[in-house]
Amino acid sequence: MADGILVDKKIPLRVVVSRTLKYASQEKGAFIGAFILLLVNVFLGVLLPRITGYFTDHLTSDVISMQTIIIIAVASVVISIVNQGLLFWENMILTKAGQKIVYKLRMEVFEHIESMSQNQFNEMPVGSLVTRVCNYTSQLSAFFTNVLVSILRNVLTIVVVYIWMMVLSWQLGLILFGVVIIVFVISFFFSKIVHKLFSNERKQISAMNTYINESLSGMKIIQIFNQEQRYAKRFFGENRKYFNYRFSIISAFSVYRPLISFIYIASVALILSAGIGFGLTAGTIVAFYLYLGYFFQPVQNLADQLNNITRAMTAIERLFNLLDIPPEVLDVEDAVEIDEFKGKIEFRNVYFAYEKENWVLKDVSFVINPKETAAFVGATGSGKTTILGLIVRNFEAQKGEILIDDIDIKKIKISSLRRAVGQMLQEVFLFTGSIKDNITLFDEEYSDEEVYESIDYVNAGKFIRGLPEKINTKVIEKGENFSAGQRQLLSFARTVLHKPQIMILDEATANIDTETEVVIQKSLENIKNIGTMLVVAHRLSTIQHSDKIFVLAKGEIIERGNHQELLKQHGYYYKLYKLQFENN
Amino acid sequence: MFLLWGKHIRKYYLRYFIFVLLGVAALISVDYIQLRIPEIIGEIVDKLNQEGSIDINSAYFANLIKEVFIVAAVMFGGRIVWRLSLFYASHRIEERIRNEMFLKAERLDLSYYHDNKVGTIMSWFTNDVESLSEFLGWGTLMMIDGVFLTTLALTKMFLLDYSLSLIMLLPIALIVLWGALVESKMSKIWRLRQESNDDLYDYSQENFTGIRVIKAFVKENQQIIEFSKHARKNRDINVKFTAVSVFFDVIIEIIIAGIAAILIGFGGWFVYGTVTGTPISLFGREVLLEPGQLVTFYGYFDSLIWPLIALGQVVTMFSQARTSYSRIEHYLDSDERLLEAVDAVDVDITGKIEFKDFSFKYKDSEIDSLSNISLTINPGENIGIIGTVGSGKSTLVNALVRLFNVEEGTLFIDDVDIMKIKIASLRNGVSIAPQDNFLFSDTIKNNIAFSDVDRDIEEVRNAARFADVDTDISQFEEGYDSLMGENGHTVSGGQKQRISLARAYLKSAPILILDDSVSAVDLKTEERILDNIKEKRAGKTTIIIASRVSTVMELDKVIVLKNGTLEAFDTPKNLKKNSETFSKMVMLQELEKEKGANNG
Repeated sequence: MADGILVDKKIPLRVVVSRTLKYASQEKGAFIGAFILLLVNVFLGVLLPRITGYFTDHLTSDVISMQTIIIIAVASVVISIVNQGLLFWENMILTKAGQKIVYKLRMEVFEHIESMSQNQFNEMPVGSLVTRVCNYTSQLSAFFTNVLVSILRNVLTIVVVYIWMMVLSWQLGLILFGVVIIVFVISFFFSKIVHKLFSNERKQISAMNTYINESLSGMKIIQIFNQEQRYAKRFFGENRKYFNYRFSIISAFSVYRPLISFIYIASVALILSAGIGFGLTAGTIVAFYLYLGYFFQPVQNLADQLNNITRAMTAIERLFNLLDIPPEVLDVEDAVEIDEFKGKIEFRNVYFAYEKENWVLKDVSFVINPKETAAFVGATGSGKTTILGLIVRNFEAQKGEILIDDIDIKKIKISSLRRAVGQMLQEVFLFTGSIKDNITLFDEEYSDEEVYESIDYVNAGKFIRGLPEKINTKVIEKGENFSAGQRQLLSFARTVLHKPQIMILDEATANIDTETEVVIQKSLENIKNIGTMLVVAHRLSTIQHSDKIFVLAKGEIIERGNHQELLKQHGYYYKLYKLQFENN
Repeated sequence: MFLLWGKHIRKYYLRYFIFVLLGVAALISVDYIQLRIPEIIGEIVDKLNQEGSIDINSAYFANLIKEVFIVAAVMFGGRIVWRLSLFYASHRIEERIRNEMFLKAERLDLSYYHDNKVGTIMSWFTNDVESLSEFLGWGTLMMIDGVFLTTLALTKMFLLDYSLSLIMLLPIALIVLWGALVESKMSKIWRLRQESNDDLYDYSQENFTGIRVIKAFVKENQQIIEFSKHARKNRDINVKFTAVSVFFDVIIEIIIAGIAAILIGFGGWFVYGTVTGTPISLFGREVLLEPGQLVTFYGYFDSLIWPLIALGQVVTMFSQARTSYSRIEHYLDSDERLLEAVDAVDVDITGKIEFKDFSFKYKDSEIDSLSNISLTINPGENIGIIGTVGSGKSTLVNALVRLFNVEEGTLFIDDVDIMKIKIASLRNGVSIAPQDNFLFSDTIKNNIAFSDVDRDIEEVRNAARFADVDTDISQFEEGYDSLMGENGHTVSGGQKQRISLARAYLKSAPILILDDSVSAVDLKTEERILDNIKEKRAGKTTIIIASRVSTVMELDKVIVLKNGTLEAFDTPKNLKKNSETFSKMVMLQELEKEKGANNG
């Protein structure tokens, strides 16, 4: 269940359609305008062959006149220009409307995703989310601009052309009606077959791409286990299967298209025989011949569109499925907004388990006063990190209460809470952009001066000013152009800039070379003064000046006090300390 | 004519030559014969206009209709043939190139995957190969059609009436000219649009990956605003793209309409002269044009439009295919760093490992990851490796499966320089459970039996028992047939580690390496696994990288690394006395034990 909460739930077609139309209704004007243009467009389009037919009829010696010829020549070019102008207009209206819809929908989907909790994120593969934001949204717009319009245009063309034909000669019109039925039936069945083939092909290409993706990602394993041949063989199989599916589509088209064109030419013969049989003029016959082309294309197009409709519907359904997932961690109704905290943190008999009764924290209670620095010491899995996660409500405690400034954190708006707590974690995530972007997190409210101030505050000024482009230096994907220590300094600056009242430092100094370590220690000395600070660290040197130190084991606090007090207790902390410092 | 030429593609031209030839021949036949239709229509129009009617029962008319059907039949057959043969060839070439690319992927080493994102390589496999095949199939069709139909239609037009043809030549040239003009503009804006799509893609990808930071700093709104900028840019570029491409089509249509008007005007004028008995003189000659001929002429012109436009499109397709091909070529030609020495030998590895003054530096790093390591591991020894993060533990063991090249004369397996051992032979003898525990979207059985899928279930279960994960797997609904990954069974980090361990064990290699394989399992499980190692791996070399010192306490010897140097290599007992890092870790661990005892 790696797709986790992103399930493909079937939504009734009626609901899909009505929800989809809601998006279209925002651009009602554009669609109506485009529809009117489309009408004119189709009408003018079918007028042109009529003119050619009229022209052909007026080429005989008894009726020919230069005046008519010139009028027809000019008229046909004018009609064409007007027609094309309208077509351009119509296309632009539709594209703009469609793109507006995509934009709105994209924003809606993106905003919705942003509102999900950390836990929900863990259950949704990033790739699937990206596809939904980028591809499925544009498929929805394509549905309005291409699919719907194409259906309308083709139906209109068929109707108008048919009426014209009936006006020209109802006998020929009736005969052609038979042909149209044949073409439509063939096209319909063909599109059914092809639809199946296309869906096989799509499944196979996705299977093949998954296979490529996985093989590339796991290439190390394939290589160290000498499995190259087996994987290549399997890939050849997938690739061949893909070829086979595609070639079956090509084969289907290889019969269908020529067959339609055969029917087309047969209809030409039919028109000639019947036209002459009914004693029609040469002009009428020519016009019919030209209309025939106008007739076949739309009928085939219609059959083609059936396939696109299903594709668009699937995309839309998946989008709605995503939009229907409610965000997990929400503010309670009367949650309070707090601009500035003093920074008092209190745990009252807190119990927490990730699953069932496997308590990660057991009956944890403590009070940290504003501006104090508190450290948590203990082995991996003793619950240190969990305490920090509870404070920012990444998850919620099952029992007990957590209070900040004597207010239960469940009653505080999550945004207020998280704004007040600056988190500095072991893994620093940097975004593509500049150093400045990474410190302000793309928040344009902060000036360069403020950025420099925070950089200097954490002792990163020297290193950043030394860069040719200073705070505008580019950060590449995941910040790979900076060392672990430098990345950590940027994360400190990020925290400082946002003026937190409480700071969380989780093993932020663990992964750093000794040289940077010195700089980082210094900046931590400064950061301490900003507000309440909670530190998790293995190195006791980082924490010995803390006001309060909590020693945790298996989810319980077993010792507490400041450095001196703990040393006097001659307990675990004492042993730990001796062990770390005696050797140095 | 456009032709993609390069060493990775030209060999296929010869291979599929017969199909291409057949396709092209069929295509030309169809092109040639389909021009008969306008001629027949023209003939009938002339007859009707001259005689007022045609006897539908006449032999003349019957012959005409028969001809129409012959034309239709030939077209039917010809079209089937060219579609099948041209697309067969192009898709086969596509398939083969993709196969070649996959083989290449298997020969590239880790550093290539470090420098190139999987997503980028994927796009070569999909988009680029497809744009290549599209050009080979549709492109060839359009090219042949374009060139042949244009020539044919123009010839027929000239034969029919060269004055009218001459008049039309200039505007016809306009179509091609316009196509060429717009092509450069189009491909530029097409690229811009692609970039904008990628941009949007990358942005959301990064945002969702770094969501933890965004949530921590309550920057959802800033991210939404930033995203809206990208989305707006994408919207605008899409509108612009449509504008340009529709404008291109519109102008083409207007040019065509203009040409049609010229045809009507001049043609009508010539016909007027002809039928009223006052022929017009042009280019030093009297122009005689029957109404039917004009209709035929119009038909020729009509059949000229598609090939002319196609010619324009071919230019675009070609430029895209060429770019795609150059990317593929660059990929297929990229350096394979892990080359075997000419005199590389197969070694039946027994398990001796010797580092001699071994140093290693990653290519984009300034400092050595490992420096001057010298030590010898004898066959059958169980060896632990401990050290802080970044001390070079993984690098040390990765060298043993030659994930990268090492300096010659510094690392020996069974006294043979590792650089002189055939890679397959080396990797047969050394098995590793790497730190990242990558498992494939396959059944658990196939994941464990990765090194040999033919192993029977009992052997697989044995390996799982070794890794103490058999009980876990048996509890899954589908047991060993449970699927892993995206749409499969979710397993915990610890289970993943143990499945990866079982996979490495199943190979029963003389050297087994566990890179931090027990970090996510509890102490009791770890103990069982360690007992299994002692028992089942007796006589074989096993190397265990550990984050807990308890893991290595019972092993024969332990390597202690510190900042890339060898701090000590000795028995655990001795290390307690003479290794600072080691003794510190031991003390820390004893503290924990004490606490556990007090609690219990």
